[in-house]
Amino acid sequence: MRSFTHINARTVDEAVAAMDKFDGRARLNAGGTDLFGVLKDEFLPEYPEAVVNIKTIKGLDYIKEEKDQLQIGALTKLSTLSESRLLKERYGALAEAAHAVASPQIRNVASIGGNICQDVRCSYYRYPRHIGGPIKCARKGNGPCLALKGDNRYHAILNGRKCFAVCPSDTAVALAVYDAQVVVVGPHGKRMLSLKSFYTPTGNLLEKNEMVTEIVVPSVTGQARQSFQKFTLRSPIDFAIVSVASLITVVDGICTDARIALGAVASGPHRAAEAEEFLKGRPLDKENASKAAELALNGAKSMSKNAYKIKIAKTLVKRAIRGQAVESAPKINFSETTVSDRKCADKRDR
Amino acid sequence: MPKLRSARRVKFTLNGESRTLEIGRLSHQVEPSHTLLYTLRETLGLMGTKLTCDNGACGCCTVLMDGKAVLSCMLLTVECGGTTVTTIEGLKDRDTGMLDPLQQSFIDHTAFQCGFCTPGIIMSAKALLNGNRSPTEDQVKEALSGNFCRCISHYQVVQAVLAVSEGGASP
Amino acid sequence: MIAPYRYIGKATQRKDALGIVTGTVQYLNDVKFKDLLYGKVLRSPHPHAMIKKIDKSRAEKLPGVKAVLTWENVPDWKGGTPGVTRILGQKLRFVGDAVALVAATSEEIAKEALSLIDVEYEVLQAVFDEEEAMKPGAPQLYDEFPGNIVTPGFPVFGPKCLSAISMGDMEKGFAEADVITEGTCGYENVPNPIPPEPPGAVALWEEPNRVTIWVSNQAPHVDRMTLSEVFGREVEIFTHGHPVGGSFGTKIITWQVQSYATLLSRATGRPVKLIYTKEEHIAAFVLRPSSKMNARVGMKKDGTVTAVSGKWLVGTGHYSMTSQAQLAVGLGEVQIMTRCANWDLQTDVVCTNRNASGSVRGFGGQELKCAFIPILSQAMAKLNLDPLEFFKKNYIKPGDGYYWRDGNWYTYRGIDYTAAMDRGAERFGWQEKWRGWLQPSAQKGPLKRGVGVGVHGNADIGEDTSEAYVRLSTEGTATLITSLTEHGTGQRSNYVKMIGEVLQLPLERISISPSDSVIAPFDFGPVGSRGTYAIGSAAISAAEDAKHQLFLLAAPILGVPPEELETMDGLIFVKNRPEQCIPWIATGHDRTIIGYGRFEPDYTLANCMTTFVEVEVDTETGKVTLQKVVNATDVGQIIDPPGLEGQLNGCLGSSGIDSAIFEETILDSTTGHILVANMIDYKWRTFTELPEIDNVVLETPISSHRFRAIGVGEVATSPGPSAILMAVSNAVGTWFHEYPVTPERVLAALDKVKGKERTGGDS
Repeated sequence: MRSFTHINARTVDEAVAAMDKFDGRARLNAGGTDLFGVLKDEFLPEYPEAVVNIKTIKGLDYIKEEKDQLQIGALTKLSTLSESRLLKERYGALAEAAHAVASPQIRNVASIGGNICQDVRCSYYRYPRHIGGPIKCARKGNGPCLALKGDNRYHAILNGRKCFAVCPSDTAVALAVYDAQVVVVGPHGKRMLSLKSFYTPTGNLLEKNEMVTEIVVPSVTGQARQSFQKFTLRSPIDFAIVSVASLITVVDGICTDARIALGAVASGPHRAAEAEEFLKGRPLDKENASKAAELALNGAKSMSKNAYKIKIAKTLVKRAIRGQAVESAPKINFSETTVSDRKCADKRDR
Repeated sequence: MPKLRSARRVKFTLNGESRTLEIGRLSHQVEPSHTLLYTLRETLGLMGTKLTCDNGACGCCTVLMDGKAVLSCMLLTVECGGTTVTTIEGLKDRDTGMLDPLQQSFIDHTAFQCGFCTPGIIMSAKALLNGNRSPTEDQVKEALSGNFCRCISHYQVVQAVLAVSEGGASP
Repeated sequence: MIAPYRYIGKATQRKDALGIVTGTVQYLNDVKFKDLLYGKVLRSPHPHAMIKKIDKSRAEKLPGVKAVLTWENVPDWKGGTPGVTRILGQKLRFVGDAVALVAATSEEIAKEALSLIDVEYEVLQAVFDEEEAMKPGAPQLYDEFPGNIVTPGFPVFGPKCLSAISMGDMEKGFAEADVITEGTCGYENVPNPIPPEPPGAVALWEEPNRVTIWVSNQAPHVDRMTLSEVFGREVEIFTHGHPVGGSFGTKIITWQVQSYATLLSRATGRPVKLIYTKEEHIAAFVLRPSSKMNARVGMKKDGTVTAVSGKWLVGTGHYSMTSQAQLAVGLGEVQIMTRCANWDLQTDVVCTNRNASGSVRGFGGQELKCAFIPILSQAMAKLNLDPLEFFKKNYIKPGDGYYWRDGNWYTYRGIDYTAAMDRGAERFGWQEKWRGWLQPSAQKGPLKRGVGVGVHGNADIGEDTSEAYVRLSTEGTATLITSLTEHGTGQRSNYVKMIGEVLQLPLERISISPSDSVIAPFDFGPVGSRGTYAIGSAAISAAEDAKHQLFLLAAPILGVPPEELETMDGLIFVKNRPEQCIPWIATGHDRTIIGYGRFEPDYTLANCMTTFVEVEVDTETGKVTLQKVVNATDVGQIIDPPGLEGQLNGCLGSSGIDSAIFEETILDSTTGHILVANMIDYKWRTFTELPEIDNVVLETPISSHRFRAIGVGEVATSPGPSAILMAVSNAVGTWFHEYPVTPERVLAALDKVKGKERTGGDS
């Protein structure tokens, strides 16, 4: 990699001060699994002068529930989230989403803060310098969007404008369904942003000298059925082509609350408000599920090569409502396995 | 405003030995932008960990850090201070030179073809067995799900790993 | 198996097993060199352009930079078939084409220097579609290739090199048919086998005209021969091979990266290492050829193919190295699969402005089958013929003839593979699962299952020449002297087994020389499926020659003619009187015995791989999941069971089966960028998605090989993709004629089927 100044921040204030000092020419590093890909491919107009390590900040790695809130430190690893008993029992969509990311090695170091702030995956945007790139584009602010006329098979089908790359974060989709808030700290102090509106077509709401320190979720009580479905060409490793997180409460056969978020369809997770509204007070039969799926994709506009995403999104929404998970995410073993607890050997392939 | 500091050396345990590396631009030193993979291979001469995609997508550079499988190409050496790192070279017994049972099992099952992905796969499997001495077949596959093998030695690899798990099938 | 062997047919430990599991095997990038410089390539941002002006002064001034080379200061050396492609040219023909080369004291400095080279381009119009490229007025890549049609014929295969199949009487053939169908099918996703180890080379130039190159390829002699031509036969070349981290055919000829390293060393006087990144590997190194066929097929009710006419278009990207050779072999292979008397199959190899295609496992046959079998299937469907029965009937039988790649007619003397096909079908459950064309084999809710079968075989088992030396030390050890490298098949260790069997020596007492073109004799390399038969035969005959010389020395000592001698574990004894024996060393400690073996080409044997697949299609998302694979073949004699299993399981790699499911080199056809030049966007199969796989291997001995064996490694990948297309077509109920079967294509096809069902149309 090209060289940079390296700084170990000991506190959030130090990290923020460093970002402020470098005035947009420094990058925060937690797990590094997105940042170093960005730096190695040198596809951005400017290479940072400094990398600020925030793993040296203590006290940002926690999952706790207090005062009707689930609080997750921004440096909490995805592996911790996917193995957390608390999450598996009561915030299953988030546990599954964390588990669906990338690969075991990546989950062992990647943080939830990094996961929600990661850069988009558009192949034009990311085209590496050293093989005839980089490609100028709308997101970079120095050219037109090539995906518009080019290969947009993975791009946005909802609310696309200026930059049509989708938000690749799996955890963001689950967090959207929980009405999560993001705690952001900058030189002028702390602010709370709703995760649902955290993303813009060309990035997120973080100022260049701010960092995410915590994610806050109103406690989920009660018996809501939760799921996270991730449609990919292959599993794991792949980013979602479409994903759906859901939180659905049914009492005596009638839906009393439905929250549905779609991922990889827009610049941020998309809450299907019309569908949610429709389902309240109705039984979750096939017909209502189909109607809700149509409503969830109301306003969807395909580009030249991604109309199929609309169909897949509708299927995933229907299945979330009907309680049929799609088998694309890796199987999750929710039971604890200790040294003395041996499961029967699964059937071998041969 | 607190002074922003860059460290001058990094100290970590590598294959059971304490290593201290100076930070700088000379060939025996570590630059801030050096990945752990680069340091292992080019600075420390440990070639067992392989460079394939250098972008965190194939698992060929997998090493253990504090017992967990991580991608050495996506870690900065200067950020590895205080950690315990194990590479493929560190698996065999330091005193007797005997192979780790996992390594022997890979030999017994011919769980490789070109061998380029093998060190990374063995390290991922080792991490699994460190945390779970009797994994199911699905758990083995999931632990290895970030490891690329193009010759398709997957089936023999799974058998090799299960064979050394507690109560696993004999070779 | 005819006789119980000591090593053959048994699993034995590979010689490099310990090195592999301890990470001590030294691949090219693991080898240390003194005074090494690092090379980097500046690559074109344009798919088609001329360099108007190139200024390297800023780059040259960067401390640590030792050489900057551009088209203006390198010799006019060219590669390709024909050799029209300069190492560095003024014209650039694909996004990623080499513009300049830098050698510096570190990779980072070399990379930085690239950004200091100032280039002014004149951008030319580009063409990415083969049919567009052939039209008048299309941008021309080379003056030498009017219409962008690459000169047919591969010189190494001789003046009659196959570039079309013409035989029989077409009118008569079609007249005899019970049905005639015509169709078009493309295998145009140019997948990439992406071996894990990136391509690279280290070169050290010595004045006035010699270069030593450390290579990471299948056959150092082929590197030497190829580069010798590229360098205008002006340079003496030594090549040293290394274990290869996967090749799948792509690392047979890698003249460009080797030439870059050579030129940089020539300019600096120091060894230069140039290893591609994975991005360069995908964007600027070997892809599969693109393939499109339009064909008219006449077929009888009993499955006899009475006539085939058509055009096979092969896309080679910005130039060709082996595409004509692949085409020739593909044309030979299609006759082996389809016993037909009347052919009029024409071809063209066309160049376009993309990264070049080259040698890949399947070598033309896979590309042809993937386009042809779906067309044949339509005729089979009209006659309601079970494709398994079709393949059984049409696969070559002893006594049949075919034109092979050199344009000569050969008569097949191998075995009949029908039994292997039947056994595979049995293991797969074909009879229970096959429901007829365009019919799912099972259905549950939105999930539909379909089955398919494909077949492939190559008459390359005995192709080309191989030579070997076996050197005996009278202390009771043997060394195989060979140029071959290990690239995953385990063959280097298998030759040790064969020699061990001939000399009856413990395997630990047999070693293999390092691989190079300096000491080791000529070998065309472990390519195709020639390793076991062709190379094996050379190694075996060298061992037998050595044994014979040993016996000539021992005979007078034991007082019997050499024919009455035998050897075991370093002792020579008289056949009926084993107590009459001497150790090898009794023939003298000051003696070296060298046996020589040579294999001459034999194109009369073919192997055969049949692959059955079962897929599941989720009709609500379009996702295709591979459930089950059964491979069936006959190898004469298994040499090494785990090695063979690895080769057969390899059908899931090397851009084989999965090139029908999710592998695709996505090219933007307006800008020319390859959009999948990384290991996330290019899709490969993971541990968590392994299908059930079963390999059925028969052993019907082949008399012409000492151990009755033939090879099958290369062909494992090739029957799969067309089988997948067949299976998905059956599951969904409509024909698929494009690869891969993405969710988008499946959903579109399902819409089509629904539409037909509504209007009552037929499929």
